[in-house]
Amino acid sequence: MIYLDYSATTPVSKEVLDSYIKVTKEYIGNPNSLHSLGEKSHELMESATKQICDILDIDEKEIIYTSGSTEANNLAIIGYALKNSKRGKNIVVSKLEHPSIYGICDYLKTFGFTITYVDNNEEGLIDFEDLKNKVKSDTILVSIVAVNSEVGIRQPLKTLRQIIKKQNENTVFHSDMTQAVGKVNINLHDVDMASLSSHKIYGPKGIGMLYKNEKINVEPIIHGADNSLRGGTPSLPLIVAFSKALRIAVTNCSKNESVVKLLNEKLSSTISKYPKIKINKTAYSIPHIFNISLMNIKPETFIHALEKRDIYVGSNTACSKGGISSTLMALYSDKTRALTSIRICLSHLTSFDDINKFLYSFDIVYNKLSELGDKLE
Amino acid sequence: MNKLIIIKYGELTTKKGNIKFFIKTLKKNIDCALEGLDYKIEYDNGRMFIFSNDLDEIEKRLRYIFGIHEIIIGYEYDSIDIEDLKKNLIELIKNKELDTFKVETKRSYKGYPITSMEVSRILGGVVLANAHGAKVDVHNPKTVIDVEIRFNKAYIYFGGESGLHGYPLGVQGKGLLMLSGGIDSPVSGYLAMKRGIRIECIYFESPPHTSDAAKEKVKSLVRILSKYSGYIKLHVINFTEIQEEIYKNISHEYLITIMRRMMYRISERIAHKNNCKIIINGESIGQVASQTLTSMSVINETIRMPVIRPVACLDKLEIIDIAKKIDTYETSILPYEDCCTIFVPDHPVINPELNKCVEYEKLIDWPLLIDKAISNEEVIKITKENENFKDLL
Repeated sequence: MIYLDYSATTPVSKEVLDSYIKVTKEYIGNPNSLHSLGEKSHELMESATKQICDILDIDEKEIIYTSGSTEANNLAIIGYALKNSKRGKNIVVSKLEHPSIYGICDYLKTFGFTITYVDNNEEGLIDFEDLKNKVKSDTILVSIVAVNSEVGIRQPLKTLRQIIKKQNENTVFHSDMTQAVGKVNINLHDVDMASLSSHKIYGPKGIGMLYKNEKINVEPIIHGADNSLRGGTPSLPLIVAFSKALRIAVTNCSKNESVVKLLNEKLSSTISKYPKIKINKTAYSIPHIFNISLMNIKPETFIHALEKRDIYVGSNTACSKGGISSTLMALYSDKTRALTSIRICLSHLTSFDDINKFLYSFDIVYNKLSELGDKLE
Repeated sequence: MNKLIIIKYGELTTKKGNIKFFIKTLKKNIDCALEGLDYKIEYDNGRMFIFSNDLDEIEKRLRYIFGIHEIIIGYEYDSIDIEDLKKNLIELIKNKELDTFKVETKRSYKGYPITSMEVSRILGGVVLANAHGAKVDVHNPKTVIDVEIRFNKAYIYFGGESGLHGYPLGVQGKGLLMLSGGIDSPVSGYLAMKRGIRIECIYFESPPHTSDAAKEKVKSLVRILSKYSGYIKLHVINFTEIQEEIYKNISHEYLITIMRRMMYRISERIAHKNNCKIIINGESIGQVASQTLTSMSVINETIRMPVIRPVACLDKLEIIDIAKKIDTYETSILPYEDCCTIFVPDHPVINPELNKCVEYEKLIDWPLLIDKAISNEEVIKITKENENFKDLL
C-alpha cells in the first residue's frame, strides 16, 4: 500500500499507540476522583498537559481539550461570538479556510452575525490592504487558517495580527493550525486562539485542543461541571497520546520537512511534464501538500483508479468530498481547475520508492483516463 | 569575534580567603545546570566566561543559579589594537538604539599603551560619530558600554541581566526544610538556598486524614524549588499514629504545640542523619497560635539544633510576593488538608507553658512513636523534571 493522503489523517505512530494502550489499561481512575487512583491519573494528566505547554510556550490555563479541530473551531468562534455579541456582530474569515469554519459561520448567521470574507492575492497570501478595510469597529473576531489544507499555503500570522490589532485592538485573532503543527514552526503568541488536532500528527483520532489566551472569555458549547469550558470526563489516554504525538512531531519538524521537500521536488519535476495538468502551488505552499488539477478527468474517477493499484491520494479535502474547491476558486477563479483537483500529501514516512511507484501508476492511469476524458469533451 | 556569556560574581567577591572555593562551587553548580549542552567555561577571580553555540538556552538556565550578580552577553575579540577596537565597536552599535551612554574601560593588562580613561575617550568619540542621536552622560547613562582589555583579548558588552545574587548553593553546607505545603515554607527554602544552603525537605503526612493529592502538591513544590539546585531529597514521615495519640490523650488546646514539638524532634533526628547542620522552617512571627514568641520558644526547647526562620519577620504580603516570583504561590494555594490543618482545636493555646507540655507528653509513649515514624520514613529524590511518566510521554 502507498498512502499519500496524510493531510486527511495520519496513521498513529507505534510509540504513541503504546502509550495510549498502557494508559487505558493501567490508569483507570478518573483524574477528578479523590482517591489515589484518581490522583495518579490526575498527576499523569498534569504532566501531559505541562509537556504540551512547554512545547507550545503557553500556560496550563490556556489549554482546553476538545474532540479535535472542528470542535476547537466551534468553541473558539461560536463560543467567542456568543459571549461577546454585545461588542459587535461581525466576523472576518479568509476564503482559504477548512469547510468546518464556513459551517460555523453559516450557523452564526442565524444569530444575526455578519460574515465578511477577506481576499487573498494570486499567491494565496491574505491581501493586507483588504484585511485592513474589512476589520471594522464591530468586528469581534478574525479567523484565518495558518496553513491551508488543500494547497498548503502558509499565512504570515504575526503580520496579520499586527494589521488586525492596528485596525481594532479589541478584535480577537483565531487561527486553525491543524495543518501547520508538526509541519512548520508555529508560535501561538502570534494569535489569541488556535485550534490543534492530534490525528494529523500521527496521534489518535478524537482529541485536539483549543489554545485560548487567558484574557479571552468564551462561552462553553458543551456544558459540564462548574467552570469547565468543555464538560465531560477528560480522556486521559487520548490526552497522553496527543501530548506524546505533539512532542515527537515538533521535535522532528525540520528534519521531516527536509525529507518531504525532496519528495515534493521529485513529484513536481515529473508531473510538470504533463502538459495539461496544472500544479496548484504558490511560493507560500508548504512541501507536504502537492495539489494538482487534472483538468479533463474527474478526481473521483482518478482516485478510485489509483486505489485499484493500492495507492491512496486525496480529493480537495476529505471533509468536502467531491465538491468544488473553494480554495482553488479563491486562487485561480477557474472552475475546471477547482473541480478537478487531487491532493497528494507527503510525509516523512513516504519513501522515494513510494514516489517512483506512484509516478509509474499515475502515468498509466492518467494516460488511460485522459484519453477517455478527451473523447468525452 | 566570539559571542559569549560573561558572568559577574555576586557577593562572593568580598570573601577574600574563600574565594577559590566559592568560585569552584559556582562552576560546579553551573556545570550541573548546563548538563547536556555543548559549552566551555573559563574563569578567573573576577569573571566567568561561557562559550557555546547555544547561548540562549544557557542564559535561561543561568537564571536559576545563585551566586551570580549579572549575566552579560558579550563579544570577545582577538585583537586589542585600538584601531581594531574602534572598528569592532562601530560594527556592534550599528543596529543599537543608544540614547545617553558612557564608555567604561578596564585594563587588566597594564602594559597596554593607552590608559583606561584615554581608551574610553577615544571609543566614546567613535560612538558619537557613528550612532545617530547618541549623547554622552557620565553620571546617569542609559547604556554603559563596557570595554575590557586583557593581555591578548578584548571584550565589549552593553550591560546585562541581573542574576539571582546570593552565594553559590552548597558553600554553606546543608539544612533541612520543614515543608508543609503552604505559602511560607517554600519561600523559606528559597531564601535559605539563596544564602548558599543546600536543602533537603521533610514533610509530615497523616493518611487517611491527609490525601495523596496533598503529598503530590508538596512534591510539586519541591520540584519547583529543585529548579535552583538540580535535585532535592524529600523525607516523608507518616505522622498519623502520633497525631491520633495526641488527639486521644492530650488536652486539645495543647494539641498543636505538642504536635509541633514532635515534628521538631523528628526533624532534628532526620537532619542529623543526613548531615544537615540546621533546620529551616516557614514560621512567621504571630501568624498563627503556634508562631507567637512564647509558642516558638516552648516548641524550640525540645531540640538543640539551630532553627532558621527566613520569613519570621516578613509580612504575609511580602511572603506572597516572593512566592509569586519563584512560582510556588499557585501550587501552595491548592486546597488540600495538611497535617497542621486537620485536628485543629477551636482555641489553641497562644501562650503555652513548658511544664504543662512536659506533663502532657508523659501521657503518650512518644519516644517509641517517633522511633517508629522515623524507621518508616520514605525518601523521594525529586528533580526539576517530573520523570515519573517519561516512558508514557
